Amino acid sequence: MLMAILVSNSAGNILLERFNGIPSEERLHWRTFLVKLGADNLKGARNEELFVASQKSVYIVYTVLGGVCIYIVGKDEYDELALTEVMFVITSSIKDACGKSPSERLFLDKYGKICLCLDEIVWQGILENTEKDRIRRLIGLKPPNPTEI
Amino acid sequence: MAQPLVKKDDDRDDEADYSPFMGIEKGAVLQEARVFNDPQLDPRRCSQVITKLLYLLNQGETFTKVEATEVFFAVTKLFQSKDIGLRRMVYVMIKELSPSADEVIIVTSSLMKDMTSKTDMYRANAIRVLCRITDGTLLTQIERYLKQAIVDKNPVVASAALVSGIHLLQTNPEIVKRWSNEVQEAVQSRAALVQFHALALLHQIRQNDRLAVNKLVSSLTKGSVRSPLAQCLLIRYTSQVIRESANTQAGDRPFYDFLEGCLRHKAEMVIFEAARAITELNGVTSRELTPAITVLQLFLSSSKPVLRFAAVRTLNKVAMTHPMAVTNCNIDMESLISDQNRSIATLAITTLLKTGNESSVDRLMKQITNFMSDIADEFKIVVVDAIRSLCLKFPLKHRSLMNFLSNILREEGGFEYKKAIVDSIVILIRDIPEAKESGLLHLCEFIEDCEFTYLSTQILHFLGIEGPKTSDPNKYIRYIYNRVHLENATVRAAAVSTLAKFGAMVDTLKPRIFVLLRRCLFDNDDEVRDRATLYLNTLGGDGTVVQTGDDVKEFLFGSLDIPLVNLENSLKNYEPSEESFDINSVPREVKTQPLAEKKAPGKKPTGLGAPPAGPPSTVDAYDKLLSSIPEFANFGKLFKSSAPVELTEAETEYAVNVVKHIFDGHVVFQYNCTNTIPEQLLENVIVIVDASEAEEFSEVASKPLRSLPYDSPGQTFVAFEKPEGIPAVGKFSNMLRFIVKEVDPSTGEAEDDGVEDEYQLEELEVVAADYMLKVGVSNFRNAWESMDADCERVDEYGLGPRESLAEAVNAVIDLLGMQPCEGTEVVPNNSRSHTCLLSGVYIGNVKVLVRLQFGLDGPKDVAMKLAVRSEDEAVSDAIHEIVASG
Repeated sequence: MLMAILVSNSAGNILLERFNGIPSEERLHWRTFLVKLGADNLKGARNEELFVASQKSVYIVYTVLGGVCIYIVGKDEYDELALTEVMFVITSSIKDACGKSPSERLFLDKYGKICLCLDEIVWQGILENTEKDRIRRLIGLKPPNPTEI
Repeated sequence: MAQPLVKKDDDRDDEADYSPFMGIEKGAVLQEARVFNDPQLDPRRCSQVITKLLYLLNQGETFTKVEATEVFFAVTKLFQSKDIGLRRMVYVMIKELSPSADEVIIVTSSLMKDMTSKTDMYRANAIRVLCRITDGTLLTQIERYLKQAIVDKNPVVASAALVSGIHLLQTNPEIVKRWSNEVQEAVQSRAALVQFHALALLHQIRQNDRLAVNKLVSSLTKGSVRSPLAQCLLIRYTSQVIRESANTQAGDRPFYDFLEGCLRHKAEMVIFEAARAITELNGVTSRELTPAITVLQLFLSSSKPVLRFAAVRTLNKVAMTHPMAVTNCNIDMESLISDQNRSIATLAITTLLKTGNESSVDRLMKQITNFMSDIADEFKIVVVDAIRSLCLKFPLKHRSLMNFLSNILREEGGFEYKKAIVDSIVILIRDIPEAKESGLLHLCEFIEDCEFTYLSTQILHFLGIEGPKTSDPNKYIRYIYNRVHLENATVRAAAVSTLAKFGAMVDTLKPRIFVLLRRCLFDNDDEVRDRATLYLNTLGGDGTVVQTGDDVKEFLFGSLDIPLVNLENSLKNYEPSEESFDINSVPREVKTQPLAEKKAPGKKPTGLGAPPAGPPSTVDAYDKLLSSIPEFANFGKLFKSSAPVELTEAETEYAVNVVKHIFDGHVVFQYNCTNTIPEQLLENVIVIVDASEAEEFSEVASKPLRSLPYDSPGQTFVAFEKPEGIPAVGKFSNMLRFIVKEVDPSTGEAEDDGVEDEYQLEELEVVAADYMLKVGVSNFRNAWESMDADCERVDEYGLGPRESLAEAVNAVIDLLGMQPCEGTEVVPNNSRSHTCLLSGVYIGNVKVLVRLQFGLDGPKDVAMKLAVRSEDEAVSDAIHEIVASG
């Protein structure tokens, strides 16, 4: 299960969060934990450099993309390697939606499109699509290219 | 530190790069949502408003029921628009709002229309939305379309239906299970993602059908799987098949070649999955393990942190069971100690601690000392636990490891970390006699400057038990008495009790202790004064060198032989009256934990948390429990209680396990029973034991369980007599007999009449190992040489063809039930001979040491030389008999 996807700006303010299977009373704990993890480790990190951590039986993969930080939390089959795959899909789709690695402003400008991308990538904690070109077409309600299949 | 969690709109400093959502207000956005009701819809504007609503929801904002309903109804109007971008937003919005059952009806027809639309993308999205918001009744109406969608030519539609199936399986399994033919067809799809989703769903549908999963794996491992994700799933399912078939098939492991082949896959994800699956195989041999370890070793030096993490995490797990297999990676692992990622560094350190040999301990400790200063407490605790295990493995190294622990104890750290260190020192003191005095002094120094009251009191209590038994108890008094001057009332009271224990146990110290205790009579805290007064008046001798009576010691310091929970309950139920509270009226039966708590993990060795002296607390608890039952009270001292043996499979109606309690002339079976059916109450529960295959045993008593309600475990006992001091063995078959009464789930009340019923349990065996206590020695060679060589018995045995040397070693250890010493239970890779040292205490409290020398005789045949020394030559002979007949 992909338990959480969280995007913050570099100061740790939450821009977007999606939780699956985490009760609302535990969400604040996760927000604080993830943002602290980023504050401790992401300073000076290269763009899209992947970081990994584990907390009990839960895995976390996180990175910096332009002006935003992205955190993904998974458990069971979504271990650190599966999360790496998910992170790759998310970063490439966001870059695709924004045209480049987004600044915080650009990310917010393309907010609606990014929500649609995430909707195509993860559905209630399960990975659904993994190809950025296909996702680009799907969010415009266009069928994927037959060659991509 | 964490940044404060401020919503973006509260952060107004950054004017230049202002947010498009600046100043966003839920109320205003809800007002704006009225544009959805305009007769002339403006798709662009509507999309913007939906984006704002999504922004609010994604920031954790919640809508009230009325607000959500209002927005939902407004959003449904947007189905009128033909704008594609807006339609896509509408789908997302409906999912986010997740309307209630009575509202769903409003969009059902629009979504049904989209689901049968000619536009593929409408179909896919409508399926996803409908499945998100639908309930069982609607599902039957759309089932036909969903089944068609699973085999749709368009992979997006097929994937949408399959992923919906995965979600719906949780809520409506009986419906989704009807789709297995279509899902089976989708598994063969050319589209990689469709195959991935179909495989996941098909496995979930058939996961309880072992044969079907086996067939699925067999066919797919031969064919081609198109995506690495699906390949990973297949590897997982293959491991499951291997696990389940392990007991039934002999010879080469099925599907191992497939797993090994996956180690050469081009996707890293697949390589890892295969390596992990191989390392987790039951009874994996070193030949099977080698290729997996080799690929993991390569990843240790990868430039990507995720790969390094995954590799070191897997190797860390392997090191727990096969430390020798991982030693080849030690050089790569050592370079990871300085890894920037602290999780990787900690895993590397703890792996090295598991795989290192005695000679490398000092070098490793040097590296760890530098490393400890820059990691967080949570990682430090892991390292401390690993060091404790290392010290127990190499007791001769206790000096340097104990010094390391005492050094880190002096450094800064939080409560949990300090507690972990103190617990470790306590465990080492208990298990390694040579480490006792230095360990106690380290603890004494620690309490001189300890900021945690809990730890100070626990250490003082421990000092009171262990200190008087040392060669020079005098030297601890100063540290203890300092507490009376310098600490808070709780610690002072604990210090007074500890002083009194020294006074009671060491007669020569008593006069001086009395002087100190008298000074405590002027303390400003009641509890401290009360304790001092009590001890001064009861220890006896008025400060002269006299012995304190045993009954006084028992009264003051003896353990309370009543479960505290029971005492607490009795006190709560006690109503103040003329009649005083009678402690003998407190029940002594220990209630085992209910189901939910039982599942909680955590089998760590306990330090100060458990009673600090004597055998482990469970044995103590069993001893008290059994002696409180009149039928078993005259059986004498309990020699050993086995670990619980399950007599039922997991998830059956009644869960029963048994603990074998061994006495000199008796054996008591304690059946722990749990009723997992809420609608039933069981009464007069007893196990009928057939001992026809255990000739030397005769049943003498049994104690039925009066009532066994749902999820509240209880115990029933059956006792057998056996020849005194003889390690009799035998097989027992068991039948659970009870009266079952129906329980009304709404009221929780049981019916008056019940029906007698029986439930067959698995067989149970009493084996030779049940008569052996696992008791280690810290220095085997010394212990061996100090035992009389006349009582040594040596013989040689052929163990026949074995899977590996390690398997043979483990089999003999299990047969004898003894404690392996100095890490000799681990057999190095590819070795053709091995020596294993065992120690234990045999029934009758006879110490036994065993030296086993194994050698490979031919390709698979294992030969063994067994040398036994014990305090009684008859016992040495008995050990040989066990091996000869095993």
